[in-house]
Amino acid sequence: MFHKRNAMALLAVFAISMVLHAQDFKLGSRTVQMHGFASQGFAYSNDNNFLTMNTSSGSPAFTEGALNLSMAVTDKFRVGGQGYARKIGSLDDGRPALDWAYGDYKFAPWFGVRGGKVKTAIGLYNDTQDMAFLYTWALLPQGVYPTDLRSTLIAHTGGDVYGRINLKKAGKLDYTGYYGLRSVDDREGYTYFSAQNGINVDSMHGRTEGWDLRWATAIKGLTLGTSWANLTMHRNLNYVGGPYTGFYYTVDSRPDRAWVGYGNYSVQKWEFSAEYRSYNDLEYIHFLAIPFNMPLNQSTEAWFSSATYRITPKIQVGVYHSNVHYDNPANKTDSAANHIYDEVGTVRYDLNSHWDVKAEGHFMDGYGDIDSEQGFYAQWNPKGLKPKTDMLVLRTSYNF
Amino acid sequence: MKELSCSILLLAAASIVAVHAQAQVIVIANPGVKASEISKSDLRDVFTGNATSLPGGGNVVPILLKAGTVHEEFLQVYIGKNDTAYRAGWRSLVFSGQASMPKSMDGDAAVVEFVGHNAGALGYIGKATPHDGVKVLSIK
Repeated sequence: MFHKRNAMALLAVFAISMVLHAQDFKLGSRTVQMHGFASQGFAYSNDNNFLTMNTSSGSPAFTEGALNLSMAVTDKFRVGGQGYARKIGSLDDGRPALDWAYGDYKFAPWFGVRGGKVKTAIGLYNDTQDMAFLYTWALLPQGVYPTDLRSTLIAHTGGDVYGRINLKKAGKLDYTGYYGLRSVDDREGYTYFSAQNGINVDSMHGRTEGWDLRWATAIKGLTLGTSWANLTMHRNLNYVGGPYTGFYYTVDSRPDRAWVGYGNYSVQKWEFSAEYRSYNDLEYIHFLAIPFNMPLNQSTEAWFSSATYRITPKIQVGVYHSNVHYDNPANKTDSAANHIYDEVGTVRYDLNSHWDVKAEGHFMDGYGDIDSEQGFYAQWNPKGLKPKTDMLVLRTSYNF
Repeated sequence: MKELSCSILLLAAASIVAVHAQAQVIVIANPGVKASEISKSDLRDVFTGNATSLPGGGNVVPILLKAGTVHEEFLQVYIGKNDTAYRAGWRSLVFSGQASMPKSMDGDAAVVEFVGHNAGALGYIGKATPHDGVKVLSIK
C-alpha cells in the first residue's frame, strides 16, 4: 500500500531537491562537490498490475532520489559516497541506503584501483540504471535492467582494477576487473516474491567476480563491449505459511554466470543501442531435514535494441524492444509464462538542463516465469495474469 | 520580382551575419601545462572525463562554458555531442563516483581568468577573445 504520508514525504523531497543546486564547499584546502536527483513517476496499465503498483487504477507509487558527496583528495586520489532511496509500489520503503562509497586511486591512465562499495561494470547501463535523468526512457528495458531486482547486480563491496589503454588507430579500450561481496536488498523483488509464496528469507549473501571491456572503436561514435560475471548466492529460507510451515531450507547458486555483449552508436541526432545477456543459473535447493540437493534451472536470456532521435535540443523520441526468456522446463513452450516482450515508444522533453519530463507507452506480451520474480506478482494480480499488458508511464526527474 | 530580390538580399545578409556569428574556437591551458599541442582524441578524453592527464605527464582539469556559440561549436567539432548528451555523460560519471563535475563559466573572459590562475586548467574560448596569461594549445 502506498500511504498518503509516504507520498507527501517523497513529494516534499522532490520539491526540496528542485530548490537545491549543486554545491561546492571547502574541506580544508580541498573542494567537496554535492549533487543529487529526485524522480517521480506515474503508471497506468490495463488489466495486469506491474511492479507491485496498482497500475490498473493508475499509480503514483514510483519515487526515487539520491544525494552524493565527492572530493579529489589529491590529483590521483578521489573519495566519495552516495545515499539512495526509493519507493516503488510495495518494493522498498523510502528509507535511504548506501548506494556507493569508495576511494579511487589512479596510478596512471592505464591503471587505477577502487575499494569500497563500488557500482558494478556490466553492460551499457548497469552502474547508472537508476539515474533516470540520464536516459531517454522512463523505464530502462526491463528484460535486461529489471527495476525490481536492482540490487542483485548493481554494486559489490570489494575492489576494482580499471584503466584505459590507447590502441592508437584502433581506438581506446576501457577495462574493469572486480571482486567483491554481493548484498541483495531485502526490500526488493526476490523477498517480495518469496513472501507471496509463504516463504521468509532469513538471509542472503554471496560474492561476485568479473570483468568488463569497453572498446571506443576507430569508427567515430561506435562503442562495443562485453562483460562477464561469476555470481554466487546463498540464501537461508523457511516456510511461514502453507503445508510446509516450519520447514527450513537453503538455496545456492552454483554458480550463476552472466555473459553480456553490447554496443552503442551515436551519429548526428541519432543513437542506437543494443545489449544481450545470458544468465546460466543452476540453483540447488537443500531441505535441512532431507539429505539431498534438488536442482532448479533459473537460466534466462534477455536482450534489447533501441533507437533515439533528437528532434530539437529539448525534445527526444525513442523506441525499444525488450525481450526476456526463461528456460524453466516447467513452462510450456511459447506460453506467456516463459517470456516478457516489451515494445516501447517514448517522448522526452527537457524543460532545462536539470529538469525533464517523459511520456512512455509499453506494449508487453507475456508475464514471465512462474518461478521468477520480475515485473508481475501474484499478490497484485489475484485474479490471475492476462497474457498482454499495455501501460503508460509518465515520469519527471530533477538533478543538480 | 522586387519581392524575390529583397528576399535574396535578406538571405545573403543573414548568411554573412551567420558566418561572422560562428566563433572559431581555440583551446587554452594554464602556462604550467607542459604540452604545447594536443590531439583531438586526447582533447576529447579530457573533456569527457576519460582522462585526467596528457601524454607526457601532468594532470589537467577541464573548464567548460555554460552555453553560447563557442560552447556549441567546441562540442560539435571536438566532442561530437550536443550539450544535453554531453552533460549527461558527465553526470553518469559523477553519479557513479568516477569524476567530479567540471566547472562551467559564464563567458570567455571568466574562462581565461580561471585557466590563467589554476594549475592544470584547460579551457576553450573564441579565437578573438583576449587571452593574456594563458597558452594556446595547437590541435593535431
